[in-house]
Amino acid sequence: MGGAGLVSWAPRAHAVTINKTFYITEGFITQPDGIDVYFRGFSNDTASLNTPGAQLIVQEGDTVSITINNTLTTDHSFVIDGVVDSGVIAAGTSKTVSFVASTAGSSMYYDALNAPYNRLSGLHGGFAVMPAGSSNELFAGSATFVQQYFWLTNDIDPVWNNALGLGNTPSTEFEARYFTINGRSMRVPDHPDYGNPDIDSGYAPDTRVTGSIGDRALIRIQNAGMCTHAVHFHANHVEWLARNGEPRPAVWKKDTIMLPRNQGSLDVIYPFESPPDAWPAVTKGKFPMHFHDEMTQTAGGGSYQFGLATTISFE
Amino acid sequence: MACYVYPDAPATIGEVTPDISFDRGIYMNGSMTMDDGASVTIWGFTEGGGGMGGGGNQFPSPAIRVTEGQIVHTNLTVNGMMWLHTIHHHGIEPSQENDGVGHYSFDVDGTYTYQWKASHAGTYFYHCHTNTVLHAEMGMYGALIIDPPEGPGTLFSGGPTYDIEAVWACDEIDSSWHNLAWDAGTCGEDVGLNSLNPDYFIITGVDGAQSALTNPAVAVSMNVGQKLLVRYICAGYLPQRINFGGLTATVHMSDGRALPAPVQVTELEACSAERYDCIFEPTTPGVYDVTVDYLHWSTGAVVGTAKTRITVS
Repeated sequence: MGGAGLVSWAPRAHAVTINKTFYITEGFITQPDGIDVYFRGFSNDTASLNTPGAQLIVQEGDTVSITINNTLTTDHSFVIDGVVDSGVIAAGTSKTVSFVASTAGSSMYYDALNAPYNRLSGLHGGFAVMPAGSSNELFAGSATFVQQYFWLTNDIDPVWNNALGLGNTPSTEFEARYFTINGRSMRVPDHPDYGNPDIDSGYAPDTRVTGSIGDRALIRIQNAGMCTHAVHFHANHVEWLARNGEPRPAVWKKDTIMLPRNQGSLDVIYPFESPPDAWPAVTKGKFPMHFHDEMTQTAGGGSYQFGLATTISFE
Repeated sequence: MACYVYPDAPATIGEVTPDISFDRGIYMNGSMTMDDGASVTIWGFTEGGGGMGGGGNQFPSPAIRVTEGQIVHTNLTVNGMMWLHTIHHHGIEPSQENDGVGHYSFDVDGTYTYQWKASHAGTYFYHCHTNTVLHAEMGMYGALIIDPPEGPGTLFSGGPTYDIEAVWACDEIDSSWHNLAWDAGTCGEDVGLNSLNPDYFIITGVDGAQSALTNPAVAVSMNVGQKLLVRYICAGYLPQRINFGGLTATVHMSDGRALPAPVQVTELEACSAERYDCIFEPTTPGVYDVTVDYLHWSTGAVVGTAKTRITVS
């Protein structure tokens, strides 16, 4: 499961060195239909399996130093496109990479070896750079926010993941059967895991978007999976700031936005305005964010509602 | 037996006398005949609230068309002994109770009045949000249009006018899904709803293999000097690429909101449930074949194409 709770961030007057240590680990995660599936992760310690890995949020100008301990018997790497590439981190070895965070925005760290299998198996996480001295912008001059979230989405073919776990290269056509946001899927009322923040993506604090009117939320969405998706927000249109890391030439207000496949990304602000079409007007309520390519709302070929979704809670 | 459904039909909170109302029932015995002669089962919403449905049910479901500023009632009647459904007005943002998502409120068992206010002119659609993956695929959707106070002929106040209007709801059908029960998969059984492998590609309920090229419900005939509004709704699940056959569209709105600056395009990529409002002002007579490519969600390969036509005289 995801290695971090809510993203917290405070601007600093001066750049600093950020140190982080990851342990590449493996294990099995039980899916909503009870099936255990093999995963790997950039984990916080040797005893954990964190997929995605911890969210890293730094400031422009910071020096980022990341040590990756590969505890597995397979080779791996740590890459942020255009920023850093560790090269091969051989089985059983460690490597430290250092770089200066230079461009504000959202991106993904991932294992680029054996592509795309290692990334899909869970070796990915969110990396964001805040503009220097700013606590409320995606990039200097962008629309502003008061809170932020990082969503890593994945499409899981258990045949592919389990092949990797056996040391094999997948040989079948990709067929996703589970769909996750920060490593979790949705549960619904009457299910025993409903409301369990360790399991239910509707309640996990790093996915569930919570606020009162005016609590504008930046949501950084990074697609670690293979599939193009349709990100659909209920109750408010979002302000669409960036796609694939590129600022949009104009901010469109959208209820549904295409999330490109294979490491596509979106940055949006959920404005937490009173739902505009409510009559009488309301300021509270719970609404879904779900992908509208509705196959993603299933688990194991059925179980509608147990897929890639979370809750937006107006409190 | 269905699992994880929430049958109810409570009183509407703060119910008022609406400015306009619509009654919708359910049909689950419709069909669509494809160009190859095959018949595919279709479900949808009926005009009028009663009935168990009969033959000749409309696909897509009858449009809901209102004027900006109106308080709207959508009265949905469902025979909960037989099946459960909801109406989600996609892009409309009402209260939780009126949002029509089963697991956040209830699946309608009896009659429920969805109350909402039409705040923003534009193009929307409505669809069932119970076992949505199946019910929307089965055809349970219809257009939802909010006209500005100026009425039809103006896209939004301060926006462009138009002389001719077309609604292109582009959808794909995997006929292997169309024999499932309304609650298929809800108790955890593997019924293949993770894997959509469409074999038909349709525009507003008309087969895009051939029929949509000429069917007047979809294809457009217009004259030079006229302005055409195409309300394009991506009603399927796969990404789509719509190419306007050599014509240039000026996109003024998407998802019921005006763009800060209109954009001119010769084709658009869209994902499930997006809407784009496109104005055409062709200056050259001709026959312009519009193609909608449906793209595989993981490979991007074209898995099928629907075609329609704009004929300019």
